Amino acid sequence: MPPATDLALLQGTLDVLVLKALMFGSRHGYAVATWIRETSGETLNVEDRALYVALHRLEDRGWVEAEWGLSENNRKAKYYELTARGRAQLRAETTRWTQYADAVFKVLRAAS
Amino acid sequence: MRLGSGIRKLLRHPAAVRDVEREVDEELRFHVETRIETLMTRGMTRQAAEAKARAEFGDLRAAHDEITAIDRGRVERERVADWWEALTQDVRFATRALLGRPSFLIIASMTLALGIGANAAIFSVVDAALLKSLPYADPDRLVSVWPEAAMMPGVFVEVRDATRTLEPIAGYSGGTSVSMTGTSEPARLVMSEVTSRFFDVLGVRADVGRTFVDGEDLPGRDRIVVLGHALWEQRFGGDRSVIGRTVIVDGIARTVVGVAPADFHFPSPAVDFWVPISLDASRANIGRYWGTSHLNVIGRLRRGVTVAQTQQEMAMLIDRARSSFPWRMPDAWGTGVTVVPLERKVVGDIGPMLMVLFGAVAVVLLIACVNVANLLLGRAAAREREIAIRASLGAGRNRIVRQLLTESVLLGLVGGALGLAVAVAGVRALLLLVPAGMPRIAEVSIDLRVLAFTMGTALATSLVFGLAPALRASRPTLQAVLGATRSAAGTLTRRRLSEALVVGEIALGVILVAGAGLLIKSFWRLHQVDLGFRPQRVVAADIPIPAFPRDSAARARLFYTAVLERARAIPGAKSVAVASVLPFGGAGSMQSSFAADIEANPVAPGGLGPMLVNTVVSDDYFKTMGIPLKGGRSFGPTESDTTSAAVAVVDELTAKRIWPNASALGQRFKPVWVKPWVTVVGVVGTVKRDSLNSAGEVSVYLPMGNVAGFWFPTQMTLVIRADGDVATIASRIRESVAAVDPSVPVKAVRPLEDLVSNSAARARFTMLLLATFAVVALTLGAVGVYGVVAYTVARRTREIGVRMALGARARDVLAMVLREGGTLTGIGVALGIAGALASSRVLAGFLYGVTPTDAAVFVSVPAVLAIVALGACVIPARRAARVDPVTALRSE
Repeated sequence: MPPATDLALLQGTLDVLVLKALMFGSRHGYAVATWIRETSGETLNVEDRALYVALHRLEDRGWVEAEWGLSENNRKAKYYELTARGRAQLRAETTRWTQYADAVFKVLRAAS
Repeated sequence: MRLGSGIRKLLRHPAAVRDVEREVDEELRFHVETRIETLMTRGMTRQAAEAKARAEFGDLRAAHDEITAIDRGRVERERVADWWEALTQDVRFATRALLGRPSFLIIASMTLALGIGANAAIFSVVDAALLKSLPYADPDRLVSVWPEAAMMPGVFVEVRDATRTLEPIAGYSGGTSVSMTGTSEPARLVMSEVTSRFFDVLGVRADVGRTFVDGEDLPGRDRIVVLGHALWEQRFGGDRSVIGRTVIVDGIARTVVGVAPADFHFPSPAVDFWVPISLDASRANIGRYWGTSHLNVIGRLRRGVTVAQTQQEMAMLIDRARSSFPWRMPDAWGTGVTVVPLERKVVGDIGPMLMVLFGAVAVVLLIACVNVANLLLGRAAAREREIAIRASLGAGRNRIVRQLLTESVLLGLVGGALGLAVAVAGVRALLLLVPAGMPRIAEVSIDLRVLAFTMGTALATSLVFGLAPALRASRPTLQAVLGATRSAAGTLTRRRLSEALVVGEIALGVILVAGAGLLIKSFWRLHQVDLGFRPQRVVAADIPIPAFPRDSAARARLFYTAVLERARAIPGAKSVAVASVLPFGGAGSMQSSFAADIEANPVAPGGLGPMLVNTVVSDDYFKTMGIPLKGGRSFGPTESDTTSAAVAVVDELTAKRIWPNASALGQRFKPVWVKPWVTVVGVVGTVKRDSLNSAGEVSVYLPMGNVAGFWFPTQMTLVIRADGDVATIASRIRESVAAVDPSVPVKAVRPLEDLVSNSAARARFTMLLLATFAVVALTLGAVGVYGVVAYTVARRTREIGVRMALGARARDVLAMVLREGGTLTGIGVALGIAGALASSRVLAGFLYGVTPTDAAVFVSVPAVLAIVALGACVIPARRAARVDPVTALRSE
C-alpha cells in the first residue's frame, strides 16, 4: 500500500472528507465511500471500516444526522445529512486544511 | 417546527438499545452487498466480488463492535436528555398550575406542613431515644446486670473476678449530690462513683488527659477525678492544663486526671464528674462494702457470648457470693438477677409512651393527607375540561397521570419544606415540655436522619394521596370532552371516593380525641389524689453538709440547728424544718432504706425482714409539711442529743403493715446490723413519696436530734411554710445559710408544689401532646367535612334550583344537606368508636383512675365530634337553602 493511504486514515482528515462528501445532500455510507474514491481519482484508498466508524462518530458529535430511507436499488439504507453544526465544522476544517497545505507547499517549493 | 423535529427524533432513535446492534448490522450488510452487486455488474464472479468487497472493507467484525459501542453511548445519552426534558417540562407546568391557584397551594401545603412537621418533630425524639444506637463503641455488646437490688461492692468484686462472659465489667452509682470547692466558688454538683474499668466498658476515651486505669478503685489510689466536658468548660474555662490540679469534693482532695468527651453523658446528663469508687474491704468499711453502698453493673459481652448465657452465669455467681457476706443474707436475696442489653435499660419505660405519641402523630398526618387528597380530587374535577383537551391533543394517559403526580409531588415537597420549619419549631417546644429524665434528650436534634424522614414522608404521602385523584382525573368522560354540562353521573364515583375519605377522617379523629380524652381525665384524677401533706406555700432548698469529714455527725447537727434558727428569723416564716429527703424530692435526693428486725415479729434465719424507708427530720417537720399526727407524739426537745433513747415516728401504712394486730405505739424495731432498738413514739398520716400514682412504701421517720452518726445524711432539705408571699422567703434562704457557713452552696430554692407537679410531668407531657394532636385532628376533620359538603352543594346548585322550583322550601333543602352530612358523620363516628375501643387498650399503662373504655369519655367524645362535623355542614347547607332557583337554572 502507498504511504498516502496511511495519511488518509488520520482521523481528522477522514472526518473532513466525510463531511465534504455530505455537503451536497444526504448520502448513505456506500455513496460516501464511492464519492471519496472517485473524486480523489482512486488515490485515497480509504478503508470502508474506518469510514463507517467516522460516520457514526460524527453522528455522535451531532455534526451529521442519520435517517433510514430507500436506496437507488430499492433497499433500506441509512442516509446521513449534515447538521448546521456539521456545516460550520466543515467550513472551519476546510480553512485550516487549506492554510496547512499552503504552508507545507511553500516550504517544499522553496528554492534554497 | 417543534412537531417536525419531534417526529424526526422519533425516526432517528432506535426504540431500544438492543435495536442499535440490528441497525448497525443492516447498514453494514447494505454496504457490502451493494458493493458486491456493483463489482459483479463489472463482470466479476460472485466469489471474486465478495473477496474484493471484504478486503476493501477491512475487519467487518471489529467495525461492527466499534460502531455499536459509539451508537449505544449516543442512544443512552439522548434517552437521559429526553427524560430530563420531559421532567423539567412537567415541573414547569406543575409550578404554573400550582401558582395559578394560590389559595389551593397555601391551604394544601400548610395542611401537609402541619402533618409532616409534627411527625418529624416527634420522630426526632423517638429517633434519639429509641432508634439511634448508643454512642459507644460496639453498643450491641453492652449489657446491664440488674439484680433485684443493685450489687454491693463486695459482691461486685467477686463477680468481676469470676466472670467468663463479660470483659470488661464495671459498676457505677447513679449520681450523688456533692459539694466541690477549691476551685472558684463552692458548687453543688452531681458525682457518679465508678469502678476503674467503667470507661473501658463503654469504650470511651478521655478528651483531655486519661480516664481511670485498672486498680484505681482501690483505697489509696482513688483520690482522682474525671471531669465532665460541660463542667470543664464552665468552671475551668476549657483549660487543658487542668490536668494535675486539685479539687475538693465533699472535703476530700482529688487530682484531676482527665476530661470526658462532650457527648458522654452516662449514666445520666445530670452527672458532672466521675470519681473511682473505693473498693475498700477493710474491717472499718465493712458496712459500706457489704451493705449500704450499691452499684449498678454494666459489662461488655465477650465475642460469641449471648445475653442468656451471661444471665445464667450472673445468677450462679451472685448466688455463690452469698456465702462471702460477713452476716447471713436472706434466702430470697439476689434471686432476681436479669441481664438486659444496655440500650433497653437506657430507654427504660419511656418506649411505649413515645410509640403512642408517634402513632397519634401519624394519625394526624393521615388526616392531613386525606384532606389534601380531597382537595386534589376537587381540583381535578375543576380541571376536567383542561385534562380532556390535553388528552384529545394526543397526551397519553400515562403522560397525564405523570403530569398530575408531578403536581402532587411538588406540593408534597413544598409541604415537606414548610414541614421542616414546623419541625424545628416543634422540637424547640418539645424540649421545653419534655419531662425530666427523658433518656438521651441531649441527642434530640433535626439532623440528616430527620431530614430524610421528613422528605421521605412528604414524597410518600404526596405520591400515595396524589395517585387516586390522578388516576380518576385521567379518565375523562365523553361528555366532558364534548363540553357537555357537568353531569351527576360523571362525578358519582368521585363523590363516593371523597365521601369515603371524609368518613375515614372522622373515624380517625374520634380515635385521637378519645385517646386524648382518656389522658385528660386520667391527668385530672391524678390531681385529685390526696398527697398526705399540704405543699401549698411551702418552699424547699437542698442544703448539703459543709465540707468537713463525713463522720462528724455532731458538727453537721450543729450546722443544721444553726441554719434552722436563722431560717426561723426570716419574716413571714411560719414554720421551719429540715429533712433528709422530701416527698417528690426529685432526681438529686437520696432515699435511704434498711432491712429491719421487728421485735414483735422476729424474722427466721435466712428469711427476709421488711425494708423500711427512713427519713431523718427535725422537730417541726410534720407541722411544717402539714402531715397530720394520728397518734402518740411528734419529736421534741427530748430528742435533742445522742444520749437520749432512740425513737421513731411511723406512718399509718407502716403501722398497719408491720404491726397489723396491735397499736404501733411503743413497738420496737432496728436495722439488722446494729444493736439498739428504736421505739415508735408516734403515728402520722401516710404521704405519697415519689409519684402521685404510687401505692406508698413502708417508711419511718427518725429525729435529727439523736440519730447515730452513720445515719446522718450528707444533705438535708430545708422546708419553710410561709405566712404570706413565698417568693420573698425564697430570696432570704441563701442569706441565712451563708450567714452560718459561706462555703455551703445552695443549689435551688423551689416551691414544694413545683416538685409535686414535676412528678406528673410525664403524664402532663403525654396528655398535652395528645390533646394538641386531637385539636389539630378535630380542626382538620372539620375542614375536610366542610370542604366535601360545600363542594357537593356547589355541584348540585342546578338540582337544588330544580327542587325549589318544584316547590321545595328552604327548610327542606337545609335538612337535605344536613342529612347527607349527618350520614357521613354518623358512619365516621361509629367506625371511630369501634377503632377507639380497639386501640385505647394501648393507653392502659398511662391511665390512672380511668379505664380504657371509660363511659363518660366514650359518650362525650363522639358527641363533640358529631357537633363539630355537623357545624361544618351548616355553612354550605345554608348556602344551599339560599339558592335562587331562577339564577341556578339559568347558570348552565
